[in-house]
Amino acid sequence: MIGCYVTGILPRPKELIETTRAYERKKAGEKLLEKALREATAKVIKAQVSAGLSYVMDGMLKWQDLLRPFNENLEGLKVGSLARWFDNNTFYRKPVVLEAIRRTKNIATEITYTELLPKNIPWKAVLPAPYTFAKLSENKFYKSEGELMFAYAEILREEIESLAEKGFKYIQLSDPALVWNPFKKPISKDMFAYIQGALKTALKGVKARTCLQTFFGDFSQILPEALEFPVNDLGIDLYETSLEKLKGYDFDKGVALGIVDARSSLVEDESELVHVTREIIEAIFPSKISDVFICPNCDLEFLPWERAEEKLRVISSVAKRLEKEWSIYG
Amino acid sequence: MDKLFPTQEIGSLAKPAWRVKAYRGEPLSEKEIAEAVKWGRRLGIENIEELVKILTKRERTAEEKKMLLRWSARYAIRFFEAAGLDIVFDGEQWRSEMYEHVIRNVDGFKFLGYVKSFDYRYFNKAACVSKPKYIKPFYVEEFIFTKENTKRIVKVPFTGPYTLVDWTFNEYYEKKAGSQIRDFKQRKTSARREFLFDLIKEVVRPEIGKLIEAGAKWIQIDEPAATTSPSAEEMQLFVEAFNETVKGFNCTFSLHNCYSNYEVLAKYASQLQNCSQLALEFANRDNRQTGLADEARTGYKELKFFEDHGFRGNYGLGVIDVHTDFIEPPELVRDRILHAIKVIGDPSRIYVSTDCGLRTRTWEVSFAKLKNMVLGAELARKALDKNR
Repeated sequence: MIGCYVTGILPRPKELIETTRAYERKKAGEKLLEKALREATAKVIKAQVSAGLSYVMDGMLKWQDLLRPFNENLEGLKVGSLARWFDNNTFYRKPVVLEAIRRTKNIATEITYTELLPKNIPWKAVLPAPYTFAKLSENKFYKSEGELMFAYAEILREEIESLAEKGFKYIQLSDPALVWNPFKKPISKDMFAYIQGALKTALKGVKARTCLQTFFGDFSQILPEALEFPVNDLGIDLYETSLEKLKGYDFDKGVALGIVDARSSLVEDESELVHVTREIIEAIFPSKISDVFICPNCDLEFLPWERAEEKLRVISSVAKRLEKEWSIYG
Repeated sequence: MDKLFPTQEIGSLAKPAWRVKAYRGEPLSEKEIAEAVKWGRRLGIENIEELVKILTKRERTAEEKKMLLRWSARYAIRFFEAAGLDIVFDGEQWRSEMYEHVIRNVDGFKFLGYVKSFDYRYFNKAACVSKPKYIKPFYVEEFIFTKENTKRIVKVPFTGPYTLVDWTFNEYYEKKAGSQIRDFKQRKTSARREFLFDLIKEVVRPEIGKLIEAGAKWIQIDEPAATTSPSAEEMQLFVEAFNETVKGFNCTFSLHNCYSNYEVLAKYASQLQNCSQLALEFANRDNRQTGLADEARTGYKELKFFEDHGFRGNYGLGVIDVHTDFIEPPELVRDRILHAIKVIGDPSRIYVSTDCGLRTRTWEVSFAKLKNMVLGAELARKALDKNR
């Protein structure tokens, strides 16, 4: 199967940006902001539906950053100062861990506009992966990063369960910290074991399809270890990954191939993407092809909405062309 | 400079409401006009009535709008002089903003709209859609006006090419590289490099040349994006870009970088050629109590990284936090300076500075902060004299 979907926070459309700016300047109130958020969410859902994506998200327009809903709603955490979001000109607020972290309510289902999601297309949700959550937090309580990772993984499991109960069929864990590695420090064997363990904890008994989505870094550096992660699919940023190295591994899992660049406004050439994707699929699945999802390399929030919408159409079109090829020849 | 601890601001100063509104063509309230008069008197500006005439008009001609830029620049220059700074500029009163001002005055770019910076803050991001082309000077007129209106040393803030490239979508070069390079990552890297060096050659160096022709003696390259990608490859690219920018010009250059990764920058700072000064922020991370000990001056520990990695130029030592209304007492400024001397040894390498431009503070707060900065520098000079 060759499907397609988006992989995180979508850009806020112009009208919503205007309202949020007015809200910042105290020229619009909560009600107006909420209305604008709902309308914009409906708009970005509609765009995904008309592009023909296989799974649909609410677009996470309310999320100030990937960690914020957890940062604000888990007990034991404090919203800290601004920090750079990897190598982007974008910032997030650091979660500061002051005591044992506890979950006292549903977080992701509460912030998601599930009532606006379509009934006839399966839903996808995105949550921060344990490693990224631990790496980006300022830990003032737990003895180690690993311990924080496990505490968060327990919480994550409850979050995923509540999402699955609500009807979400696909859960993506975003893990940019796992591959963003500007100083080229290898991840130790012990750390891989920790990550594996934390993912196991987070995903135990989960009744949804799962993906560990990596971005902003070279996926080939976590191979072959990543092939053992207890997820259905592995997400790869093809704009940061050495394609030659990637092609050197055999995959027995599904992959989410980030073939459109959410950090570039240039709209990609579809034929080239079809060609490149075909080559990757043939290389990493030498005998039996697993499921493939065509997607942006990271959250599309780095683009103005109109450009992101164009890229939605590109991923869908590439997925359809490849699906057609495989159904003929495969 | 002969004097120890020359004082400077980094670049921007808030634009007064009368400047912003009148320039946009909006009517002004009496209070806003009174504010212009009040500061004009306080700063000893002559012929304020001419400004008031423009401000009270319902509509303003293009020439009058130009006059407004001159008026607010005149105010800002006098503002810095009255606060007692040794090195001045016009508070960037002629510029809309450090990024947009340049991009809007160069050919080859198109603004695509707002993208998220954080929370409900956004920035207007442009794409490079054809080879950048220099069409007209964008800092020269502002510089000449400043030079003609002050006897103090003038330092021209100049948005650096690395930052301009980092904050811009790179459509033209990515498309161009598309036909030649198959690997997406390599393609992007190569396109980024070509964009950067074209921008330096086609736009940045011609403007620097024109500034020097017009008499500029000191240009400060502002590169807030310098350590956005802290990898060795990117940092080398940044160094190469700086060196290429300043190469062969007979002028003093300095670098300003803020809210960045100084551990990374420190490793590469000594490779910056013809960089007389690094203007860095420290005050925002520092304690507020006086004292010279390391425990008191925690905000300045990164200064040592630059020394350890062999940077031997001057420092624009940030002693004023630009993001709070807290008015640093002169004694605190003094101790920050004296602490820095303990770290770097030679007091003549210290220029006393704000962390960054003051544009987010009111004039009232900015003035009080700058006055205390100047007083603090004086206290440091005295303390040093006493110990000799």
